[in-house]
Order: sequence, then structure tokens, then C-alpha cells
Amino acid sequence: MLNQALVQDVIHEALTTGGDFAEVFVEDTFKDSLLLQGGRIDKSLSGRDFGVGIRVYNGFHSAYTYTTDFSREGLLKTARHAAQAINGNTQVNVQPFQHEQAPVIHEINQLPQSVEKARKVNVMKNAADIAGNYHDSISQVRVNLLDEEQNVLIANSDGKFVEDKRVHSRMSIAAIASNEHDMETGFYGPGAVQGFEFFENLDLNHYAKEAARIAVTNLGADPCPSGKFPVIIDNEFGGVIFHEACGHGLEATSVAKGKSAFANKVGEQVAPDIVTYIDDGTIPNEWGSINVDDEGNKPQKNVLIENGILKGYLVDQLNGRIMDTEPTGSGRRESYRYAPTSRMTNTYIAPGESTPEEIIANTEHGIYARYMGGGSVNPATGDYNFAINEAYLVKNGKIDKPVRGATLIGNGPKTLQTVDMVGNNLGHGAGMCGSLSGSIPVNVGQPTLRVSEITVGGRKEDA
Amino acid sequence: MNVLEFKDELFQKGSEKGFKDMELYYEKSDQFVCAIDKGEVDQFTTAEVTGVSFRGVYADQMGYAYTEKLDESSIEFLIENALENASVLESEDVEEIYEGDSNYKDISFSSEALKSVTTEEKINFMKELDKEIYATDERVVATNFFTMQSVDVQKAMYNSKGLSLEDDQNYLVYMVIVIVEENDVTKSGVHIEVVSDWGKVNAKESAHKAVQEAVSYLNPLETDDKFYPVILRQDAARSLLDTFVTTFSAETAQQGMSKLKEKVGSKIAGDNINLVDDPFMKNRMGSRTFDAEGVATEKLNVVENGTLTTLLHNRKTAKKDGVKTTGHASKASYKGTVNVAPSNFYIEPGSQSYEELVQGMDEGIVVTNLQGLHSGVNAISGDFSLAANGYYVKGGEIQGPTNLMTIAGNFFELLNEVNEVGSDLEFGPSNVGAPSLLLKGLSVTFE
Repeated sequence: MLNQALVQDVIHEALTTGGDFAEVFVEDTFKDSLLLQGGRIDKSLSGRDFGVGIRVYNGFHSAYTYTTDFSREGLLKTARHAAQAINGNTQVNVQPFQHEQAPVIHEINQLPQSVEKARKVNVMKNAADIAGNYHDSISQVRVNLLDEEQNVLIANSDGKFVEDKRVHSRMSIAAIASNEHDMETGFYGPGAVQGFEFFENLDLNHYAKEAARIAVTNLGADPCPSGKFPVIIDNEFGGVIFHEACGHGLEATSVAKGKSAFANKVGEQVAPDIVTYIDDGTIPNEWGSINVDDEGNKPQKNVLIENGILKGYLVDQLNGRIMDTEPTGSGRRESYRYAPTSRMTNTYIAPGESTPEEIIANTEHGIYARYMGGGSVNPATGDYNFAINEAYLVKNGKIDKPVRGATLIGNGPKTLQTVDMVGNNLGHGAGMCGSLSGSIPVNVGQPTLRVSEITVGGRKEDA
Repeated sequence: MNVLEFKDELFQKGSEKGFKDMELYYEKSDQFVCAIDKGEVDQFTTAEVTGVSFRGVYADQMGYAYTEKLDESSIEFLIENALENASVLESEDVEEIYEGDSNYKDISFSSEALKSVTTEEKINFMKELDKEIYATDERVVATNFFTMQSVDVQKAMYNSKGLSLEDDQNYLVYMVIVIVEENDVTKSGVHIEVVSDWGKVNAKESAHKAVQEAVSYLNPLETDDKFYPVILRQDAARSLLDTFVTTFSAETAQQGMSKLKEKVGSKIAGDNINLVDDPFMKNRMGSRTFDAEGVATEKLNVVENGTLTTLLHNRKTAKKDGVKTTGHASKASYKGTVNVAPSNFYIEPGSQSYEELVQGMDEGIVVTNLQGLHSGVNAISGDFSLAANGYYVKGGEIQGPTNLMTIAGNFFELLNEVNEVGSDLEFGPSNVGAPSLLLKGLSVTFE
């Protein structure tokens, strides 16, 4: 992507003001994005993202610059801009490069760029037909297909020179059901670290029908009651709550500065002993998986909480320096426009012993969140809010009628303490996670589980 | 390869491949970001990024492709992909390349004074602000996302019908989340300022506002869940309007995703509601003299005394509805396709100040910020259920903060239930603005 001699010169230039480490990240990415709505292909866009990011450390300080100018002069100028923010006195012996192709953990069969767009269109039309034919009340279906091929080079003053190809494919299906008064939506968005084979093998009958079924269910639903309830959260994307409310607090980005509720608590009980929380970037071809992280380190299975005891954090290089800890293969970034920092990959609550049926049968009066929507968390306080995309009342140990417009609010570390049943049906769901180093693909996951009490916001007074 | 050489070769090769009309959109941005944490520069980033978007008419469809690498290999990439994209498209209403208007408003949104502020001056100001924040109140324990960003964007649009337009804009904004602690309880407050005049930045005043906001949430009162009269403070009102702004787009309406479809000419809000889009405001994020199709922009009344007078159009949606475009074609960047978005869109201010609105309230809630706007709303039906922070009001005075609450309601109903529109119109770092709004009431649940 760039020749070794030029990269060497850029690294030398970046270290001229006494920095103790320099890194160059080069990216050449090809993306396709297609949208089908109203039965027609309405958008088809292709793009090439290309740029170079340069990072310099001086102790715990760092500077980052990036550019799309790939000329020798442009790159040296960008390196100088980074160096200008550093005032150090280290003389670094820049190591000769050890050229390496990142070992492929996640096999790709059909590269997206090698597949004709007409074939992608066929899959989208299939999905739209299945969702559209599900029920008379389905008035609109939108299908988005996204794929990308990201080629990267990560080189640094320690002699690292790693190249990698990352391939992502995702389809999102949104169905709208409407009657005279209302419109409701249903959504499903599966994705993987795979090429076109992902779309060919995707069980559209399941995903497209589910999107339509959720919309139709919500159309007939009453407003959700508000108040405090036991809440049963189903598997797969249900894990988004713990991603937001706990996962982010376990990233070195917030731990190193002491801003996390989990800082300085390794070895302490932070959750009930039925909770084990894991981040694993090595699960084959999962949406959050990586061959190598964006600092050139290998991914690994990181057990964060084991039987309720805090075991460790997700650590990138710079925060690893501050915390005096080895990096955990967690340095990630959206693109060359971001300096990498500690991020999640595939994060999940490990399966427990209860069956989902037992959890429901043990709940006298509560809310069952079958599909979660998005949400956000205040990192300082741990307060979170989430939408539920498909919710039901639970009465006398049985799932009762559907309710719509429900929101969950609470405090992350507190909610973690009040998990009282964990199911045996672990599942993962794909999402995009936005944070300091941009928006990256991650999986959230969990089995069906129950939290003894969460505040539910809805439009109806207490039921 | 410079952009003009790139364009000439691209149009030449494009026409050989069978493209009828073509456009190249160019964007170059220079950016500076710094973050401060406890007196030290915690993040320092500079960037220079160039990108171009090509679109062209092929077999009666508009094919798109973009690149950030201006070289020979990209010319081939753009043409091949735009051609293949056009071939799979099935749009009924086809986009066209526009030859341009005869007149464009002669106004510049670029500030040379802001561009000349040095990196050192910016960092020194941030360090001073950091000191002032800790000096203002001993309950301040930390800051978060304490950043300053300055951006200078140059845009140009060239097409094969001879149109050539250029624009240059810059802005400087800083934000801080102040974290305060008392009796082991942590609260935070956000403060954002868009700088229009560097000579007027005041670290002490900014620090005071930021800390006041955070401290105001300490020691929450216990309050009952019920239906309360609510004041949406200007920042909360703005973020709610921003969330539903796509509802006013003709594109959204034509897709059957807006309740305002076929409502032009009808009452959609109370008599006291006026919604305006003004592309010519100084120091606003959405200002522009031409839109993403090259159409000259104009000031527009969208809602007049509660009546919807028009939706926002680009040339494609206007043609479909048999009306004239309102100049609202928009492209988020060279990475996007042309859609519809407002310039500077706002609720016209009324006469009462925020303080007067509070004084006039017997018992109620002030909502100061809303969370979960990307997930807790149904943009089609207008239903929302959102986490919120705010204050409890009794006898015309703020008694103190409430616990975290959820408020639930419906945006379209709310437009008809505004009892009073405040005078304190603000935009913040956005192209959508609102004053504080006194609402008849919302259902409120406290944590």
C-alpha cells in the first residue's frame, strides 16, 4: 500500500521532536451500499476511502494526524504536524520492519468487490418479498445491503509492519406495518465478517419474517405501562444493555482515568455469581471479530467478569502504558480518521442454567423484552436508556399481550447487581458501536436473562 | 493530480463510456481537535482530507461513486462503479444534473478572523477554562469530552452543463461535560459554545455556566409520577425538533414515512407556532447560498400560524409533486447521495423569557435535556418515550432537580399543545434551533 522505505521515513519524521513511539496506519477501503424500498432499488453507492493516520507517543501523551494526501511531501508534512505537538527527549532506535500478513482467523470465500451488484440486488429482492408478503398491513419494506473490504497496513517504530484485509457484510431489513391511525416498524440487521457467501447463506425466511412480524405485533399493541418491573431480556441483541451499561465501563479508555465505576475493582464482586462477561474477537466470522487489531496486536478471548468477580479490562497500547498492563488485542478504530483506543469486539454474558421457559414461568408480573432497540449511557454516572422494539406483559408466569413504546432507564452497575436469572440459550446480535475512535462493528450477546427491577417508561399509567 | 485535471479526465472518460450529464463534487477540510484533561492536553489531532463524489446520468438513472484518492486508478473506479450502480437502479423519478440559476446570494459564511486563531491560542484558552472549571466549585471532580474543534471546509461543484460553484465555511466550537460529586452521588452537565467572535470568548463565564449546569442536578427531590405541565428548555426543545425534522422533508413524505404527507395547506400546529428555514444566517451550521444540486437557496416559511405551507424539496421531489424546488437538496458529505435536508430550521421565538415561563408555572417540570433520541422515538407516528433530566417547579420557582425521568408523548400532538413559546431561540452546534416551550403537559415517570 505504501513502500517500506517511505513508511520508515515518515516514522523518523514523526519522532524528530523526541517522541518515544510512532505508528503509521494506512487504509484503502472499498464500500458498497444499496437500498431497496417500495420494491425498487432506490440507491446504490460505491466508495473508496483512502487515508493515512500518524500517531506519536511521548510517555502518556500522544498526538494524531491524518491525511488523504499520499504524496511523499504530504505524508512528511503530516508527520511533522504530529511531531509539533510533542515535546520529548527520547532518542528512539527505530527497528527494521518485520513484514507480516495477519494470520487469517476468519476465512472469506467471495470478496464483495468481485461480485456483480445484480447478484446483491437479487438477495435484497428476496428479503423484501418475504417481508412484504408476511401480512396485509405491511405497507413498506426497506432493505439495506452493505459490504466493505478494508485493506490496512499498520507499521510502527518497534518494527511492526502488518497487513490485513477485513471484510464485512450486513443486511438490514425494516418493515412498516400501518392501519388508519398508526405506523409501526420492525427491524432485523444480521451481519458477519464474511464475503458475499454471507448473503447467499442467510436465512431470509427467518430474518425478513421476523422484521415484518415485529411491525405487525407493534401495530396491534397497547401503549406500555410505566413503573418499576422485573424485566426479562431475551437473547442475542438483548445484550446491548450490558454492552452499554457495563462493557464501556470495562474499556481502558475510561478505566485508566478512573472514570469508570469498575476502576480499581479487579478481584472484587461486581455482579451476582451467575454472571460471567466475556469479550472474544476470535469467534470465527462473527460481526465483531478481527484477525488483528488496529495496533497490530492479535485478538484474544478476554474474560472480564467471572462468576461475578471482576477479572480484567479491555486494554489498548497507550492506556496499557498508563495502567502498566499488557494490551489485550482491543485497540480498534473506525478508519484512518481516528486514533485507536480500547474497544469491544464480540461481548457477551456466558450461558447459565435456566431455560427461557423457567425464567418466564418464575415471573409473576413483569415485562418481557423480546427485541431490544438502541440506547445510550452517560459514562460518568452509568445512567442508561434503551428502547424495546418488541415487548410483552408477563402475568402469572405467562407471556401476555404485546405493548409498544417502552423504554428502560436505570444505572448500569446497579442493573448488573440485580440480574437474578441467567438462561442457557446464548445468542449474538450485530450492531454498530460509536465511541471515541468512531463507529465500529461489534456483537452484543447474552442468553435470556432476568433483572429483578428496572424502571420502564411508557405512555400508559401503571397497569 | 489537482481537482480540475481530475475532473477534465473524468468527464472525458465518462462521456466515452456513455454517461450523458455528469457532476463532480469536491470537498477539502482542514481540521483541528484538542482535548484537555486535568490541565494537560489529552488529545491532539490535525487533519487534511480531500474527497470527491462523481454522479452521472447513464441509461436514464443517476449513478454515484466517491473516492478519497485522487489518482488514475480512482478515475476508473468512479466510472465503472457509477455505471454499474446506475444499471441496477430502478428509481421512477430520475435525478437530473442542473445547469444552475442566474443569481446566487452574495454572502460569505467564512470568517478570516476565526481562521487566524493559532493552535497555541486555542490550547491556552482551553487550559484557562480547565482551571476556571475546577476553581468555580469544589464539588467538581472531573471533566469529560472536554474538546475544542475547528473546521474549515471548502466545497466546489462542477458539472458538464457548465455550472461551477464554490463555497468556503469555517467554525470553531468547544464543549465540556463537567462531573460533580456530593455525598457520593455523581452528576454531570454539558456545556457547548459555538464561537463566532474569538475576541469575546470568556473562560470564566463559560466555566461558570458549565459548572452551574452540572451542580444544578445534585440532591434530587422525590417527586410523584404523574401528568405535569412541562417546560422544554430551549436545548431540549431543539433536540426534539431535530429528531423529527425529517418529517418535513418531501422525500420522507413521498416514501410514505411522514405523517405530514398530504398535509400541506392544513393546520398541523397551534396558532402560536411558526417554523422557518433560513439559509443566510451568519455563524450557523446550515448556512448556504446553493444547495447540493446547485440551486440558489431562499428563506422559507414552512409553518405559518400553525398551517403547513410547504414541505422541503429538492428538484426530484418537487418534480414529483408538481411544485418548484425549495432549494433543500442536501448531501451529508461527498460520501452521500443527494437527499433533502433543511438549511437553518427553527421555531420562531415568542415573547416570554425562560425565567418568565418558570415564574408563570404553578406546579410542573422543566426538562433540560433528552437522551435516547436515536432509539426512543418513532419518527413516523411521532410517539416518543425518552430519558430526561430536569427540575421540579412549584409556585413559579425551581425547587431543585428531579431524579432521572422518562417523558412520553407524541410530537404531532405536542405541536398543538404549546401554551407559550419562549423568546430564547438557540441553535447550539446544529442547524436546528428552538426557544423554550411551555407545554400543556406530558406523562412523567421518575426513576
